[in-house]
Amino acid sequence: MATLIGRSLAGASLIVVLLVAWQGLALSGRVTPFMLPPLTAVLERIARDAASGELALQLGATLYRALAGFAVASVGGVALGLLVARFAALRWFFDPIISVGFPMPKIAFLPIVVLWLGFHDASKIAMVIVDAIFPVLTATIAGAQAVPRELLWSAKSMGASDRQAWREIVLPAALPELLTGLQVALPIALIVCIVAEMMTGGVGLGGAMIKAMRFADSRGVFAAIVEIALVGYVLVKLMGAARRRLLIWHPEAQR
Amino acid sequence: MTGAAQITIAGVSHVYRPPRGRAVLALDAVSLTIQRREFVALLGPSGCGKSTLLYLIGGFLPVEQGAISVDGRPVSGPGRDRGITFQNFALFPWKTVRANVHYGLEKLGLPRAERQRRAQALIDTVGLAGFEDSYPAQLSGGMKQRCAIARMLAHEPDILLMDEPFGALDAQTRGLMQEELLGLWQRTPKTVIFVTHDVQEAVYLAQRVVVLSARPGQVKAIVETGFDRSDPGLLKSKPFVDKVDEIWHLVRAEAIKAQQGRRESSAS
Amino acid sequence: MSAALGRYLPLLLLALTWEAVARLGLVSSLALPALSDVAAAWWQLLASGELLTNGAASLYRAGAGLALAISIGGAVGILMAWWRPLLVVAGPLVELLYPMPKSALIPVTALWLGFGDGSKILLIFLGCMLPVTIGAFNGARGTDQALLWSARSMGAGRLGTLWDVVVPSALPEILNGIRSAIALSFVLLVSAELIVARDGLGYMIGFLGAGGVYDAMFAVVLTVALLGFAADRCYRRAMNRVLLWRL
Repeated sequence: MATLIGRSLAGASLIVVLLVAWQGLALSGRVTPFMLPPLTAVLERIARDAASGELALQLGATLYRALAGFAVASVGGVALGLLVARFAALRWFFDPIISVGFPMPKIAFLPIVVLWLGFHDASKIAMVIVDAIFPVLTATIAGAQAVPRELLWSAKSMGASDRQAWREIVLPAALPELLTGLQVALPIALIVCIVAEMMTGGVGLGGAMIKAMRFADSRGVFAAIVEIALVGYVLVKLMGAARRRLLIWHPEAQR
Repeated sequence: MTGAAQITIAGVSHVYRPPRGRAVLALDAVSLTIQRREFVALLGPSGCGKSTLLYLIGGFLPVEQGAISVDGRPVSGPGRDRGITFQNFALFPWKTVRANVHYGLEKLGLPRAERQRRAQALIDTVGLAGFEDSYPAQLSGGMKQRCAIARMLAHEPDILLMDEPFGALDAQTRGLMQEELLGLWQRTPKTVIFVTHDVQEAVYLAQRVVVLSARPGQVKAIVETGFDRSDPGLLKSKPFVDKVDEIWHLVRAEAIKAQQGRRESSAS
Repeated sequence: MSAALGRYLPLLLLALTWEAVARLGLVSSLALPALSDVAAAWWQLLASGELLTNGAASLYRAGAGLALAISIGGAVGILMAWWRPLLVVAGPLVELLYPMPKSALIPVTALWLGFGDGSKILLIFLGCMLPVTIGAFNGARGTDQALLWSARSMGAGRLGTLWDVVVPSALPEILNGIRSAIALSFVLLVSAELIVARDGLGYMIGFLGAGGVYDAMFAVVLTVALLGFAADRCYRRAMNRVLLWRL
């Protein structure tokens, strides 16, 4: 416990040092306030946006799209992944699609998605789904295929049907790997959502950032960076906590 | 114990087809009959197919050549009448001890109160009282195997298939578990098919020891080992030691053959 | 060869379905130009030189950014595992920056360096450095202590040990980190070029889309997607060859 506190103090102190360095560098005169606005100015800007409700508006829009897309990608990816792991015909069909699609910069398809779905929420959520579903799919398939056959055999000898065995045994057994896939997909969902917003403009952290850039509002740009970084950090931490909760039975938690 | 055999294995061969590499004949025309409530050990060197035979009886692998029937009916898949335990315990890691034991009971469709009663009785029988809410990751090897046995007994199978259940345990725990298993079997007799590579374990536990040859597995010998197990000095008595020796020599010859076979195949 | 063909058959079926759906008029030709039209447009872009000029610009940016990310990021990662003071300072920083969406750096790099090459190279350098650093760090940290000691006892100096023992044993993880960095570089490149560029493949996509030339737009989109896929495949092949040779 002491080391845990010690470590977070060390980490926190480093962040404090960095923030002080930021402020110092900004005020030193070596860079223009345009290139690096003082930390205090950026924080003041964030506070102002929070008070006026602006922050809530932008943050809310981004979170809604990113999380909605993530939710669909998660449920869809897991469901499809389990089916693909189970049926050889589906494996044959999806294997090349997944192995070719995974390393592609799928963001390149954004203009096509916008062409089809317009400039509002739908296209952004769709893009998030396209990008986030891949890690979920591959992790689910790998996890399901790695379930030891003895587990399934035990279940069947206790009276479980094929279908029951898949639902009741494979899914929980694959959960650790599945959750890793979700943990990878969540930051991807956020990144893709922000890029989509930057491209299409409008409401959202990405759109706000691009607008600030176009207006040469460097404080606004930096404020948005800090906000996005914090959102990313919080989401990852929440996901980690959820994982620990769900995998309380796992040997990795016993240490 | 006369009358029709409970399990009939007739001319069963099995080919193991790995995803990559050559097909290998694991079992070669094995024939065997097992009576109701008999305790039979399947003994042999690594790779002789003893586990494969067990999985075929259990219905986990399809019988492609030959026939296996239980109570006159051919085996077509896994079933409640044949319970199984594995060397690596195969407990459901996300379920507690209680939930693991409950699984078979739930599949029986019993009412809740009855399920809880039976589960608790089984947990007590295998000596895990107090650990009902522990997860497998928190249990020692011996405790995990007790849970696996309780889970297997929950759905009241007629036949217990045990695949080297004590192989992963340390020597002391193994000895303890052997005694307890024997006690359990004597109190509620069921047919047990016990796979092991430990000769002494086979002679101690089983009434008959089936020695399998090196791959491809064939029945090399069937040795009667009816000893008075209530005798505390059994393990040191001369007849016992002689029997172990006799069977050990049979197995050793096959183990050497298996070793040579491996050397040849790795050289090719 | 036929095995590979069989493996990718579903993609061929999808391509044929695309062509059929478009030709049969099931979907508006604006939304989904026929695959054959897209191919024709692609050929025209290639012939006119547009594809090559913009492609070269894009690949130059990605390449330069990656080169910086790999060399500096790799060095930092290995040094972090090797020299404790650096780990104490840089470690929490890496942990903090990890979950940050690197694409958030697009506007700020454009703010600093404008719409040209510089901002993209800086973006890719900063964004792709992290996977390489983390891979190098994990790889170097896992170096077998016994290997290190035997190297030292044979007279290797600190630097020699670093080069001869630590780097090779860290190689698999470093190479995997680089693979992630390559994929990320494509994403950052395309994103940046879609939003803050005057040339490049990403810019072309936006430009053609805005102009309503959808078959050409689709052509460039597919080009970019396939380039990303090809880069990953080629890298993976090279990576396996290096690992085989080294290990």
